[in-house]
Amino acid sequence: MLALQLLLNGLQAGAIYALTAVGFSLIFGATRIFHFAHGSTFAIAGYVFYWVFAVRQLPLAVAVGASALAALAFGTAMDRFIYRPVQQHQGSFFTVFIASFGVSIVVQALIGMVMGRTFVTVSTPLSASTMLAEGLYVAPMAGLAVVTALVFFACLGWVLVRTDIGVALRALSHSHALVRAYGLDPQVLSRHAFAIGSLLAVPAAVITACTSGLNPSIGNHAMLISLAATIVGGVGSLKGAACAGMILGLAENLSSWKLPTEWSEAVSFVVLFLFIIFRPSGLFGVEQKR
Amino acid sequence: MNLPTIRAWAMAAAALWASASLAQNITIGAVFPMSGPNADYGDIFMGGTSIALDHVNADKLLSQPLAISYEDSQATPQRGVVAINKLINVEKVPYAMTAFTGVSKAIAPVADRAKVVLANGGGIGPDLAALGPYFWNVIPLVNEEVKALVPYVVKDRGWKRVALIYLDEPIGEEVLKELRAGVERQGGTLVTALAIPASAQQFSTIAAKVREANPDVVYLASVGAQQPQLIKQLRDNGVNKPFVSYSALATPAVVALPEAKGIIYTSQKMDWNATDAATARFVGDFRKKYKKDPSPYAANYYNAVLVFARLAQRLEKQGKPITGENLRAALAEGRSFDVVGGRMEFLANGSVTMPITIQEIGGKTLN
Repeated sequence: MLALQLLLNGLQAGAIYALTAVGFSLIFGATRIFHFAHGSTFAIAGYVFYWVFAVRQLPLAVAVGASALAALAFGTAMDRFIYRPVQQHQGSFFTVFIASFGVSIVVQALIGMVMGRTFVTVSTPLSASTMLAEGLYVAPMAGLAVVTALVFFACLGWVLVRTDIGVALRALSHSHALVRAYGLDPQVLSRHAFAIGSLLAVPAAVITACTSGLNPSIGNHAMLISLAATIVGGVGSLKGAACAGMILGLAENLSSWKLPTEWSEAVSFVVLFLFIIFRPSGLFGVEQKR
Repeated sequence: MNLPTIRAWAMAAAALWASASLAQNITIGAVFPMSGPNADYGDIFMGGTSIALDHVNADKLLSQPLAISYEDSQATPQRGVVAINKLINVEKVPYAMTAFTGVSKAIAPVADRAKVVLANGGGIGPDLAALGPYFWNVIPLVNEEVKALVPYVVKDRGWKRVALIYLDEPIGEEVLKELRAGVERQGGTLVTALAIPASAQQFSTIAAKVREANPDVVYLASVGAQQPQLIKQLRDNGVNKPFVSYSALATPAVVALPEAKGIIYTSQKMDWNATDAATARFVGDFRKKYKKDPSPYAANYYNAVLVFARLAQRLEKQGKPITGENLRAALAEGRSFDVVGGRMEFLANGSVTMPITIQEIGGKTLN
């Protein structure tokens, strides 16, 4: 029964990781910008939801809307006001990364100053588990997390395959020159990538606010998992990032079945190292021949 | 003389005046967590030191005003070592306050080499009693807290099957050692001991393992922002057994959490309504300044500043310089102090003995 419980816990964690990782992977794949501040998008979305819903006690839909708006504004502002100016001044990949890293530290400090440096949570009956069988507890939020992830991935798949913007974004991840040749503006497409990628962090942030709670450094954990999932899934592969997010969530939880609990976080990175050594291209990445 | 030149001279004069006024102070140091997930504790500690500073300077205990130079440890040993090196080499402090077991153990050798006294009012690992002659504790250590709690839990309440969730750091390891021995001594069983990394934020797996062990009671040994997350997730995930813990649990964030109501925890005994001069003055001024009751941690760091001031006063009367070595010698001349909470007596190893109380969050004193 413990294994089944850990499997269910892993599915919930994996759904949240997959949502965050796919957002990061979409942005990185399309723009080649190492958007470290994606973790900040997650934190901002979570805190705005907490503030609107738990502090101001406005309706759930308003809180989710405000959270999405904040994530959208932050992600697109990062693209417009941080990455683009840095890139216009011949900023290297590393310079852009440092700029993003710096912003994430500033955001963490600002959240601490404005919202307090301690833990906050949104109390909801949906996060309280009920016993399904002897020793098996599941919260409605676990099912909600998995269903939300599936719905968002279905919508994302539809956007990427069926809409012009989606097709252009996929083209952008292959070649900026090709996109320009078709008369499209890579900067506009980049803005769309940031908007969609940032929105994908919103459901994960809202569910996290209701289940494990938030603290100003919550974005770092989200970012580490996103990075690991992007590499494990194969850089540029959204399907890979989603699967890898789920695998990491399951590995983190199922490891406690046989291993001491202090290893659960480390297991994610053991998985990452194994992929780097034995399958550097990841689950769905294209192997690069030298 | 043009405007930029005047401005430059004015800035130079201001800098000289500032450095001169700093030089006139007697400065001690503090290595506290002021950012990161444990920053809450830094706020609590500074609540006590700032009142102490007001009192020492108002009473003119020393020939020059006392000042405290604060450095941020972020509750990590690495940052703590950087902080104490700055206090010793740049600020030249003879005495510094420290907190957190891991940080204190990391910075103690540095202070010991430089013959600078460290006073701990927040770390509770038992091995803090053996960090050398320059390391003093003004707080009862966790082994005393566990020893006080175990008979109450196992004998008085009859909770014989104890589960432990502990931080994978020195403080957690010490609780594990003490709890295992103590529970078995009282005829109980430690049914499971689950370690959690300091950075862990997901505890549904821990909850599943606790439920599987089927304990009568769960001892929580974590610190900082992790504690409310742990408590909420355990309750959300079906762990409905009583929780017990130590003094580090009772942070404002935990006390405010609905899921934390009823948690039993130990702390040093402090009667905020006591009428002795030191306690009444501290509590009165604390309430006036912060509009709430102090925590034992605030009192500990108030006491740490007060102990320094009394020892430094002795040295000044004897015409001796205020150095770490001389502070040790001054302590050897008289080990008792009237401080907040009553009379504090230092043992030969630099630790203090104090009564422990058992309380309930949102409830009453139990023992």
